Amino acid sequence: MSETLLSVQDLTKRFKLRRSLGEFVTRRPGDSALAVDHVSFDLAKGEILGLAGGSGSGKTTLARMLIRLVEPDEGVITVDGRSVRDARGHELREIRRRMQMVFQDPYASLNPRMTVGTAILEAGRVHHQPGSEDGDAFVSKFLDLVRLSASTAVRHPSELSGGQRQRVAVARALAIGPEVLIADEAVSALDVSIQTQLLNLFLDLRDELGLAILFVAHQLSVIAEVADRVAIMHLGVIVEIGAAAEVFHNPQDEYTKSLLASHPRSVPLDASREIRIGE
Amino acid sequence: MSDLATRPVMKRRRIYRLWRSFLRAQNWELSTGLVIIAMMVLAALLAPYIAPYHPNQINIVDSLQAPSWHHWMGTDFVGRDVFSRVLYGLRVDLLVVAIITYLGLIVGVTLGTISGYVGGWFDAVIGRVADTVIAFPFIVLVLAVVAIVGPGLKGVGIGIIIVGWALYFRLSRSEMLVMREQPFIMATKALGFSHLRAIFRHALPNLIRTSLVYSTVDVVVNMLVIAGLSYLGLGQQAPGADLGSIIASGQGYLLSAWWITTIPGVVLMLFGIGVSLIGDGITRGDLTLGSR
Repeated sequence: MSETLLSVQDLTKRFKLRRSLGEFVTRRPGDSALAVDHVSFDLAKGEILGLAGGSGSGKTTLARMLIRLVEPDEGVITVDGRSVRDARGHELREIRRRMQMVFQDPYASLNPRMTVGTAILEAGRVHHQPGSEDGDAFVSKFLDLVRLSASTAVRHPSELSGGQRQRVAVARALAIGPEVLIADEAVSALDVSIQTQLLNLFLDLRDELGLAILFVAHQLSVIAEVADRVAIMHLGVIVEIGAAAEVFHNPQDEYTKSLLASHPRSVPLDASREIRIGE
Repeated sequence: MSDLATRPVMKRRRIYRLWRSFLRAQNWELSTGLVIIAMMVLAALLAPYIAPYHPNQINIVDSLQAPSWHHWMGTDFVGRDVFSRVLYGLRVDLLVVAIITYLGLIVGVTLGTISGYVGGWFDAVIGRVADTVIAFPFIVLVLAVVAIVGPGLKGVGIGIIIVGWALYFRLSRSEMLVMREQPFIMATKALGFSHLRAIFRHALPNLIRTSLVYSTVDVVVNMLVIAGLSYLGLGQQAPGADLGSIIASGQGYLLSAWWITTIPGVVLMLFGIGVSLIGDGITRGDLTLGSR
């Protein structure tokens, strides 16, 4: 295994629940919900770690804490040995540059009033990325990287399909030269054929750029396709983490087993049964 | 960003689309409104060339003349040409109303978007100030400011801006609260953009439309307030002309010389209709403000 790029230890987040009037008057502290409970994992260079779990298991909160879109309560996050939680101002922006995020909803994560080219170029210029002085070349380079034609640059997001938009979001993230890509349910909103194309794109990007990718998804089938290692989250805790094949074929934890068992299969178990269309 | 070769093309396409919808009169409200206001603005700008007389030139012999070929809109009680005075008055009113309304809009929208974005004590302080301003009847507060600054268009202008920004503040603040939760605004944070960039480059273009539409109502209201205060003698001071002061100067002769008050009143009404039509045209939404 190559060197560790991102390291997370005992990361914890509590969300305060609203206090009742009684609690407020008596000055009792309100209840809080543990969204993420002492989670630890490492991510190596060029590795794809799949993070799976049901709704409300804390996957998204965990992902957002990594770049401090949500402030962690406890724990240590380091990138290349540098602490993320202690970073302020310029340092924090530099860390966010190195760890980029692709959001779930491609219909809402792009500014509707900006053309694709403007959005990509803006990201590059803000971080003074090499090559960003030459606008058109810079934009086509990254559009090419996500397999979109250079003519996409003049389009607005509303003129693109969901899959194309998600590619634009990836291109924009790549334009500022990250080392870690956090894909937060990045393919969940897309239909299956488009999903496969995007998953292949992520695999290619890992190979071409040596990106480390944290791939958050609730669909195990999606994770099985890309991940080298898999972490299963349940109620804020990572219940199982290990090599993908190991976790999928020989799950140790009860929750993992039930998750695997409940997952719909793409091929019916009983292949001999006739499938009638229109039934 | 602007050197992207595609930028001017987009801009040209946008203007072309507006022009086409104008020609086809798909949006008759907008076209009619624009024609009315354009003519008024043009007349005001060209006042020195169009006006047949000097607006303040007194000619007692020709006082209280009915509209005729010599005096299109008649003359007032000291023989000043009403048409010339209306042109010069329009010049003053249009300029003042535009400055006042859009200064208020800029101040209100700027503070509102920042407030909605950062929240916290900044929002609390500015929000309470806005509440205080809104709690008073509009005209009372303007009068109070005029009392402090002194009569004249300057006092009226300052007064209206002090009151007027608050509504734009509220509008844009509440829109910003919604916008802030949008993934593309969160994405600006993830991308390491500055807050200023997030607010003014990403959020603002997506929420300015409401304020712009509201400003078409505001312009009319402000125009009437300026005219009203001039009518009361608190705005434009004699002998300078503005629509309100011309109307006021004619009220003693309403029965014998109706034209002095009526014609400037009609001009004021036309302005109101024109601006409202533009507002309706924009709200109809088949044209794009900026890009999509």
